[in-house]
Order: sequence, then C-alpha cells, then structure tokens
Amino acid sequence: MYDPVILAQIFWTGVATSAPHVLMTLGFALTLKVTGLWNFAQAGFMAIAFYTMFFALNGLDLPIFIAVLLAIGTTVVASLATEVYGLQVLRERQSGNLTFFIFTLILSQFIMYVITLIFGTEPQTLFKSILSPVQIIGGVAVSDWDLLGVGLMVMGMVALWLFMAFTKEGQFLTAVSDNAKLAELYGISARRSYRVTAVIASLFIVASMYLVGSHGGVVPNSPLELILGAVLGTLLGGIGRVFAAAAASIFLALIQSFSILVLASRWQNLLLYGFLFVAIVVFPRGVRLPKFRFALAGR
Amino acid sequence: MTRSLILSRRHLVAGAALTTLAMPSIVRAQAKDPIKLGTAMPLTGSQAGYGADFITGMRMAAKDVNDAGGIAGRPVEILALDTQADPQLGINAVNRFIGVEKLPMFFIAWSAVVKAVAPVANREKILAINTGANAPEIAHLGDYVYTAFPLADVDISKLARYTVNTLAKKRAAVLYINNDTGIDAAKIYRENFTAAGGQVVAFEAYDPKATEFTGMLLKTRAANPDMVHVHGLLTDVPQVIAQMRQLGMTQRVSTYSVAYNPKIIEQLGAAAEGLIVTSLAPGVEENPLVAPFIERWKKEIGRAPNGLPYIQYQYDMVLLAKAMYEYLDKAGKPATGESLIEALNTVKEFALPMTGKLVIDGHRVDKTVYLLTVEKGKFVPLTTLT
Repeated sequence: MYDPVILAQIFWTGVATSAPHVLMTLGFALTLKVTGLWNFAQAGFMAIAFYTMFFALNGLDLPIFIAVLLAIGTTVVASLATEVYGLQVLRERQSGNLTFFIFTLILSQFIMYVITLIFGTEPQTLFKSILSPVQIIGGVAVSDWDLLGVGLMVMGMVALWLFMAFTKEGQFLTAVSDNAKLAELYGISARRSYRVTAVIASLFIVASMYLVGSHGGVVPNSPLELILGAVLGTLLGGIGRVFAAAAASIFLALIQSFSILVLASRWQNLLLYGFLFVAIVVFPRGVRLPKFRFALAGR
Repeated sequence: MTRSLILSRRHLVAGAALTTLAMPSIVRAQAKDPIKLGTAMPLTGSQAGYGADFITGMRMAAKDVNDAGGIAGRPVEILALDTQADPQLGINAVNRFIGVEKLPMFFIAWSAVVKAVAPVANREKILAINTGANAPEIAHLGDYVYTAFPLADVDISKLARYTVNTLAKKRAAVLYINNDTGIDAAKIYRENFTAAGGQVVAFEAYDPKATEFTGMLLKTRAANPDMVHVHGLLTDVPQVIAQMRQLGMTQRVSTYSVAYNPKIIEQLGAAAEGLIVTSLAPGVEENPLVAPFIERWKKEIGRAPNGLPYIQYQYDMVLLAKAMYEYLDKAGKPATGESLIEALNTVKEFALPMTGKLVIDGHRVDKTVYLLTVEKGKFVPLTTLT
C-alpha cells in the first residue's frame, strides 16, 4: 500500500474528487463573505441545476452545451429571485440571523420536494454511462472526468481570483463584505453586489453539479449532503476567506483519501466530522497558516 | 300511469335481485368488509424506485385476486405506507397498522426497517412478514417475525461456493456497504468462500454515503484477488464497479439480486460484462407466467419493473395471504397474529404463481437460486443452484 504509485494514485484521485466540493465551496464561501449569510438555499439551487441538465439531456435530447446553458439560466433565475424577493425583503425587515437561516433551509427543502414530485427519487445520472475513459500516466489511472474536474476547479479558482482582484465589480464585493454601509457611502450598491454574488455562486453550482451528476447517481436530496462539505470547508478555512475554504476542501478530500492507509474505509466520514469538531473547538476562526495566507480575496 | 309505474318498480326490484344472484362472486366479495393487507415500503427517498414498484406489484395481485372473487368472498385492499427505508419511519408505519388500522399482519422489507419494527410486532403479537430484506439476522428477530423471502444465507452462500467450486476462483475480495444489508451478507460470503477452500484476501466495508471508493479499491488491488464480490445498494454498486474498472481492475465481479437491474448495464456499459448477479425467482425461461407479467407492466406502467424478482415476490405475497386467510376461514378462526402464524406453519407449503413453491421452515425459507451474468449487454442465465 505504501508503493509510490499507489500513493500518487491516492493523491491524484483525492484532488480530482475534491473538485466538485471545491467549486461548491467557492460559491458558498463567497456568498457568506459578501452577504454574511449561510445560504443553505444553495442546496436547492444545486438540485435545480442538476435536474435542469438531466431533463435537457434525457427528456429533450439536447446537446450538452445547451443543457449546461439552460442549467445556468434556471439556477441564476432561482438564485436572483431568492435574493430579490426573499433575502432582500428579510433585510428590509431587519430580520435576525436565525430567520435568514430558517428561510434558506426551508426554501431548499421546498425546492427538493417539488423536484421529487416531478422527477421521482430514483438515483439519476446526467449521462447513461458513468464510465469515463482512462489513461495510465506513470502508473496512475487518470480519467477524463478527473481532468475535467481538476481543470474546472483550477479555472474556477483563477477566474474568481482575477475577478476579485482586478475588476471593479470584484473590488465592490470585497468592499461590501468588509462593511456594506460604509461601501454604500462611497456609492457602491450593496444590493447589486449581492446579486452579482448570487450569479457567480450559480455558475459554481452548475459546474459542481455537472461533475457530480456525470460521476454517479443523484437523488433530489443529495445536495443537502453535498453542501455539508462546503460548510466544513468554509468552517475550516475561516469565515470570509474564500480561497482558504477551497484549499480546506482539497485538504479534507486528501485526508479522507489517505486515511485508507491507516483506517478502514468505513471510518472515512467519521474522520471528517472529527476534523470539524476539532476545528470548531480549537480553531473557531478557521485554521490559519502562519506564513502562507490563502485569503487573497479577503485583503 | 301509476299502476304501470308500480309494475315497473317491481320489475326493477325483481330484476335487481335476479342480477345479484346471478352476479359473479366478485360482486358479493365487494359487498363484504375488505381484508386489508398492510405493507410498509420506501415510497419516497433513494430506495423508492424499488419500494413504489413493490406496492404496484402487490396491487396487481390484489386486482387479480379480487377479479377472481377475493379472499373467502372478501375483497382485498392494499394499505401502503411509506418508510423511506428509514427504521424510525418504519416503526411509525407499523404503529399505524396496529393502532389505527387494527391489522393482524403486515408486510415489510429493507433489513434495517425489519429489525426496527420486530420488537413492535413481538410486543403487540402481530405477524410481520418480510418480503424483500435478506439480512440473516431476520431469522432470529422473534416469534412474530417471519420471512417469505430467502435470507442472504440462501443465495450468498450458494454463490460463494459456486465461485470456488465451479468458477475455480480461489482469492476473493469482499467489498460491502457498512449497514444491515452489507455486514451480515459479507460475513456469510466470507464463511462460505473459505469453507469451500477459497481465501478472502480483502474484506472492506464502505460508508453508506460514500461516493468515492478509490482508496478501498487500491487496497483491494494490492491484495491481488481473482474475484470481487460487491454487496451494496443500487446507488453505490455501479460506482464501485465503475471505479474498479477505471483503476485497471479487470477481475470478475459478483453481487446479489439488487443488481439484477438493466440500469446497471446502462450505467456501466462494457464494464458490466461478466458481472454475476443472483435472482431468487424464476425468470422468463423458467416460468411461463413471467413474460406476460412483464408485458402487463409495460402496458399498465409503461416500463419493466425495477428489480423483477423482488416484484415477483411482492405479487406472491397477496397469494400467500389469500392461502392463510382461506385456512382461517375454513377453520372458523378469526385473523389474529397467532392464528395467522398457525396458518403459515400448518399450510407450510404454498404454491405461488410467480416465485414457485414456498416452504416455510421455521423462520426461514429455502428457494432455488438463479445466477445470471451480463453477456453482450444483457442478463443471461448462468446456472441454477438448488
């Protein structure tokens, strides 16, 4: 088991399988950073994204790029509608954090129940086959899905970093996340920033659900389990530190993968919760590395 | 005018009386109180693909029984409740059967649910009949818990021995889901494979929520097995096999009846070739009633049933209940948990249309096991193990 090729395989697969979780985490952590909201409605948007693609591909026989565009459309609409007609209303009423939390949770459950009524509860995959072509590179099996996942993950992180660091809109998001009222004094619309955040998060959600749905079966309530990974990453990375949260998601996936060397695989999920417990108790503001800081977007 | 009207009424009354007398027994059956057969299955959640079809299978049988006059002249009614394959919801459903519906018997499936409701059935002295779970522990759940479905020690033990003795595989890896479905079945496979002279070189459980199995599979690959037995659910078995193939593992794979589903072949494509599955009910080749049954599904539901052998059992459960109630009717006994158990053990052998002869052997049943394999993208019979 300690053969270098096996270790390399575990590393590679760990990184590749973290991709959908990293993309989800980027959207979730960015929303938390800018709006200050643990937006569990994103689980509902994940379901919308997946089932739009599923229906477009399997019900309407549309090509994949159209299916993805449709999914982006429905997810952005759902996300913006929630922002405009739900969250904004609650903000105007100066509702408490608990109200926001309950609202997003109930909304995601509502969406999932509607989707269950429409699509049923049988596990569905985007494509009929879940097999992806594989090539062996240096003894390590690398599938097309792995490459797509890692590619999307890297592109997503780079694009977000460039957006946050070099565009006016990105800098507005940072300003709003630092102090929304102060930002508004400087003419930055917090509402607009919230909506831009909703659109960006939707893009990450669609990319993430494409990866999840082309790798295995999805049922309407799968996103609630998936979003838990984003919550773990966000907590470990530290609230407001988007890229640290993404890095934490990769780290968690690697820990889970490498734990097979010392633990039976049935303990892998327990390990994850153990980490979360320790992180919350010992590192309430997330794990901060002494020299290298990931929180570029937080500056 | 008035007279002719009175005469008309008389004629109508006389006609109605004559019609009633001449009506087939079905009409008389409908007039009596129905016999309610309670069944608690997952109608929502990840297992609903099977659970909902279980109920449809039972309802088809109920319709056939009612069309033929019902049970002892009474119509049958299927009372279905949702468990989501969740033990707690299973208990809720059974409490309703007992407390609200006052049923003396109910049907149940999914190992974790059967185990959860067993204490309730025993305490309330209500007969619970397992119709689809296969955890061997079900045979020891108490006086009021019976099974009409063969437990894992029937098909898995026969499969393990066949793998060593006929397929000449001597080194097996056993990968199983870490819940009631997988744990006991995996142990049975290991015991029988070892007893037949083989060696289990890897024995790995995976989390029921896992979607990534690479680490476990690499560990398995390092153990160099010549056969891999996967014991999980429809949600994870295809993913385990797909990831196995992607890691270059070419060993033949066996699993059990859960994977006797065309969806597996669809999802795995060429990677499904050689896959061995078990079936505890005769197929189209062995039972002439199966093909028309599938056709009926296609006509009425628009597709073939999910997990055909399981559905055959569900259909037969209504016929099993019919035989039990008819025994009580002849004996002049009321239907209670105890009297139904007496019926089950006294009749003992039931000739069931879809799954063949069922012999009650205490809290177990023995059945013929049919092995199928995937060849050129289709399930084809491999052998029959008696």
